[in-house]
Amino acid sequence: MISFLLRKLPSVAVVALISSAIAFILPRLAPGDPALAIAGSDATPEQLAAVREQMGLSKPLIQQYLDWMFGMFRGDFGQSFIMRRPVTTVIGSRLESTLELAFLAMLLMIAIGLVLGVLAGSPRSKWARVVLDIMTTLFLATPPFLTGLLLILFLGIFFPILPISGEVGFFENPWLALQFLILPALALALPQAAIVARLLQTAMNSARGEDYVDLAKAKGVSPGRITWRHVLRNSLGTAVVALGLRAGDLLAGAIVIEAIFARNGLGSLAVYSVQSRDYMVLQVLILGAVILAVFIQLFSEIILAALDPRIRLES
Amino acid sequence: MTDTAPPNRQKARLNPVLSRYLQAFVMPKGQIGLGLVILLTALALLAPVLFPGGYDMQTRDSLLPASWAHPFGTDELGRDIFVRSIYGLRTDLALAATAVPLSMIIGTFLGLSGALSPRLGSLVQRALDIIVGFPGLILAICVVLVVGAGWTALLVAIVIGGLPGFGRLARATFLSQQHREYVVAARTLGVSNWKIMVRHILPNAIDPIIVQGAVFVVAAVFTEAALSIVGLGLQPPEPSLGILLNVGMRYITMAPFYILGPTLILVLLALAFSLLADALNSTVNRK
Repeated sequence: MISFLLRKLPSVAVVALISSAIAFILPRLAPGDPALAIAGSDATPEQLAAVREQMGLSKPLIQQYLDWMFGMFRGDFGQSFIMRRPVTTVIGSRLESTLELAFLAMLLMIAIGLVLGVLAGSPRSKWARVVLDIMTTLFLATPPFLTGLLLILFLGIFFPILPISGEVGFFENPWLALQFLILPALALALPQAAIVARLLQTAMNSARGEDYVDLAKAKGVSPGRITWRHVLRNSLGTAVVALGLRAGDLLAGAIVIEAIFARNGLGSLAVYSVQSRDYMVLQVLILGAVILAVFIQLFSEIILAALDPRIRLES
Repeated sequence: MTDTAPPNRQKARLNPVLSRYLQAFVMPKGQIGLGLVILLTALALLAPVLFPGGYDMQTRDSLLPASWAHPFGTDELGRDIFVRSIYGLRTDLALAATAVPLSMIIGTFLGLSGALSPRLGSLVQRALDIIVGFPGLILAICVVLVVGAGWTALLVAIVIGGLPGFGRLARATFLSQQHREYVVAARTLGVSNWKIMVRHILPNAIDPIIVQGAVFVVAAVFTEAALSIVGLGLQPPEPSLGILLNVGMRYITMAPFYILGPTLILVLLALAFSLLADALNSTVNRK
């Protein structure tokens, strides 16, 4: 596994470098001058120049990029223009909220995806099959924000069971925090879980046609054991790959979900930074999102190899 | 599918391509999908005729609950939310009708570009892979960042977002067809690369791409709605389904129908195009 990681290192480094360049350039392509936004529209040219000097905007772009990159290696991610605090502090204060949401959503996605997939991929009566199929199709067709709105309407307003807006830190009051977390996490997880379930169902159906299943049946192995030990075990790979690929979408979905449920996480920070043209925060957020997605994918490859001895990471 | 009922065989004699598409509407799935698509499109197109007052007619009755006069109630300025939803649907469908064909055409040609030069083809593929690397809304937000929130940004974001899907389908067809005898024959006869791409390979790619187009309409409308909810999409007062949801969130406890109405229309729209795509997929895409 170590040698696998070492071999992947160059390509990860290249992706990180390219995405750092993209994350650096994109915000700067935008129209509008952040110095003007900070100094105010009635600032004199001298004041503007002073602000630019202070923010390091008067240096050539290449110099700014290198400063940013080398700064990050020293742990200095730059200063937010708008909030006048280090970017690390700004992001750090929002991190917990998004991490809690993403973690619970990921757990729900795995649990719901596996349950729906296994149920649909096992022999069932015709009606159970139709109901499962409709459920998966519905979840699949409804994106996180619609699921979120419907959950708010039905579980927050028509039947006020759970709180619909705001949040509480998990370490302050775990029970209350969970109540605030459950709806947004469910909204994020359901569409992704449906994709996982569909893929798992297809994989299980094709695994059921394999010779080793016929052999197991002929030997008199019980249907439950066939499903768990023979069919599911050989179909899990697909599900794991799917989970790795869906993680990025989960992050992207968090942006809208945080807006709908009025949570102060990284997603709402990203939106605020776009609106206020806060380069320094944005470039770190974009870079972070891409790198995180790369690592999740690597991680899912490792799990895949652990599940299936035929796949060797080294080859 | 060769020995179907006599009426179908008659159609097949008329025009084999058209009849494959028409068969999609023999299935209940296709009929419901097509019916809903026609209904929603007609409502959107006829909105100015059906509701001549326009979407901005204010009254004193703000935030009324749903009733027969106002199926979704009224908003904070006493405007009928049903009327605003239909005008919003009009905006969204207009956006989809512009962006989806554009994305479809550009994506298809990018995918087929390997016919012009193999190196160009693989270069385009790398570029599309980068787009795929940006998950859903993050790509759209990057576009908004550069272009500035509004109609243009949405159009660009949707077109770019669709390229990998269309490109991949076209590329798959190109890869499977490029070594077929008829392509090699055309090449030997000195037919230009451009003509091989357009006349010989494109017709083979068109069916799956049309199905993907129907799927992508839903994605386009959802992109608008998601961006507008966050506040980075279209800007009020222009009505769109996303903007209605954005503003409606503030009044959700007082007037739940403010959200439920536009949500229902979004769900219907998604259902309509998904059913249509499903039906087309099972008849047209089967080879």
